[in-house]
Amino acid sequence: MNNENHTVAVLGAGTMGAGIATVTARAGYRTILFDIDEHNLRRGIGTVHGFFDKSVRLGKLDADDGRAAKEALSGTTELAELGPCTVLIEAVVEDLAVKTELFGRLDGIIAESALLHTNTSTLSVTGIASGSRYPERVVGTHYCNPAPLMKLVELADGRHTAGWAHRSTAEFLASLAKTAVVTEDRPGFIVNRFLIPWENSCIRALESGLGSKEAIDAAVPGALGQPMGPFRLLDIVGMDIHQQVATRLYEQLRDPRFFPPPMVDRMVSAGDLGRKTGRGFYEYDDTRLFGS
Amino acid sequence: MNEPVPDFPRIGLLGFGTMGAGIAQVFAASGRSVLVLETGSERLESGFAAVSAFLEEGIARGKTTADEKSAVLGRIAGTTSVAELGCVDAVLEAVTEDPGTKQALLARVAAVVTEHTPILSNTSALSVTELAAALPNPERVAGLHFFNPAPLMRTVEVVRALQTEQALIDRLVALVGTLAGKNAAVVKDRPGFLVNALLMPYLNDVVQAYDEELATAADIDLAIELGLGHKIGPLRMLDMIGLDVHLHATTAAYTATLDPAYAPPPLLRQLVAAGRLGDKTGHGFHNRCHSREDD
Ligand SMILES: NC(=O)c1ccc[n+]([C@@H]2O[C@H](COP(=O)([O-])OP(=O)(O)OC[C@H]3O[C@@H](n4cnc5c(N)ncnc54)[C@H](O)[C@@H]3O)[C@@H](O)[C@H]2O)c1
Ligand SMILES: NC(=O)c1ccc[n+]([C@@H]2O[C@H](COP(=O)([O-])OP(=O)(O)OC[C@H]3O[C@@H](n4cnc5c(N)ncnc54)[C@H](O)[C@@H]3O)[C@@H](O)[C@H]2O)c1
Repeated sequence: MNNENHTVAVLGAGTMGAGIATVTARAGYRTILFDIDEHNLRRGIGTVHGFFDKSVRLGKLDADDGRAAKEALSGTTELAELGPCTVLIEAVVEDLAVKTELFGRLDGIIAESALLHTNTSTLSVTGIASGSRYPERVVGTHYCNPAPLMKLVELADGRHTAGWAHRSTAEFLASLAKTAVVTEDRPGFIVNRFLIPWENSCIRALESGLGSKEAIDAAVPGALGQPMGPFRLLDIVGMDIHQQVATRLYEQLRDPRFFPPPMVDRMVSAGDLGRKTGRGFYEYDDTRLFGS
Repeated sequence: MNEPVPDFPRIGLLGFGTMGAGIAQVFAASGRSVLVLETGSERLESGFAAVSAFLEEGIARGKTTADEKSAVLGRIAGTTSVAELGCVDAVLEAVTEDPGTKQALLARVAAVVTEHTPILSNTSALSVTELAAALPNPERVAGLHFFNPAPLMRTVEVVRALQTEQALIDRLVALVGTLAGKNAAVVKDRPGFLVNALLMPYLNDVVQAYDEELATAADIDLAIELGLGHKIGPLRMLDMIGLDVHLHATTAAYTATLDPAYAPPPLLRQLVAAGRLGDKTGHGFHNRCHSREDD
């Protein structure tokens, strides 16, 4: 793909939308960030600008490239303005009705050959595509948080995704310098499919007296070459997010390994969500997650 | 100033295979002398060769020096005679994972060491409590479970059998503290102890999902490596562990718990039956003869 000839839309200017827009703008794509909420849109654009400013400050990006990346980005709350976009990446709230409705509204707006990507974590790509008149162009592209720093994107076709749409999507991801892995449209794709039961089993082990959280967090990475223990990771992910993802996967799979253990509910009820609230499994003075 | 004398200055090590070689190196590097028992002189030679090769690679990577290498090797001696173990301060067995072999050998060793000499096992899948029950003074028996490769992996599980006395647990935690970069985790004598109890269901789950064609082996590993920052993905890890070793361990845990999470997935049994054991046979989930992209 020739990046300058393409305009990318990122729909939803939250955590993931802002992260993905950072990636596409940095790769040289004109990028339009869309959100229904004016405040969230402005905050999202601020996040992208903040990322580039910080990269320039840290010497990771030269000032001209930083300026160019910021200029590549614009924002809108008018869906009709996404007409010229050739790749549209959906990253709105994780709600099937919202996503299908949004894809339906795009029917009359998007260009003939535009690709429709969804960043859903737990919903079915096929289900989301059912909202579109063009399900053959809908592809699952699941980025990791924080999108500007994580190289992995999981690529999953829906039942009706066309071969050309899959191939163009793979090329597009390569143009973003992402590493794509190809998987199936199954709940949790690869990473969440294995991470959720793993984290749940660590929580159950803690509750069953297999070891203290400190012992498990020290022993597991030291034996298996993981960057951090399961409870440190949960504190970063957030217990509310773990609860949501686990519950959604359980609802689809009915496999008890995915069901969040009672300790998760207790921690969420108590507001002990992890780093972002200053307390999860551990206590934190600094609630910032990834830099400023 | 005098160097403080380390606790357990002389270690008797049983078995100079994969784990024995790594463990001998770790103890020798801590300044202890290690006497390794094997079944024959070729087995001893291959153990020394493994330690030597590991240290040689360390020199090539600038992690150690030629002087350090010869000092470490100089502190390791080999024997094929159980009687020579009489004067060691602790015995650690790392022989073949077979209850009959371990029990017979430990009984012979118990007859030559003092009645209070700690007897330790590196077993992954056997019950330390059962090994202890067959020995005189079972309170001096505990598990000391290293991970492969022993010189690199930080965690060492100190396994408390039902009979183990607290004083021994304390000494073992202190001992692990004297091994460079190692952290002790005191764990119960449950199937899989702590780390493998968590790891085995995860690996079984990955094997099953791979059999259900979730993605290629290369893409599953890449997703976990890049998405979660793990040094090696689960299928590559299984190839390194050995599919037969994992099958044996997870079957043992399943037998002991009847927890279906430990039930070996059908594909695992089939790969072992077909002789595809992982790296040691050059063929497992990944084919070592080819680059990652073609598997
Ligand atoms: N947060 C993560 O770690 C993560 C990782 C990978 C994928 N995801 C997925 O990415 C998507 C977004 O997650 P997030 O964490 O960025 O959520 P978020 O809550 O931070 O942001 C969602 C944004 O969508 C906007 N929005 C809601 N309805 C909209 C609509 N109809 N049109 C346009 N914008 C709308 C909201 O105003 C909000 O700004 C979800 O599908 C989620 O599952 C999240
Ligand atoms: N390989 C691993 O990943 C790993 C990890 C942790 C623990 N363990 C445990 O460590 C132990 C050894 O495993 P390994 O992988 O090193 O096995 P291995 O087959 O590589 O080595 C076992 C060695 O024991 C020797 N041996 C057998 N009977 C003996 C006897 N009667 N006297 C002296 N030596 C004898 C064999 O000659 C062989 O060299 C097992 O209990 C295993 O469960 C293995």
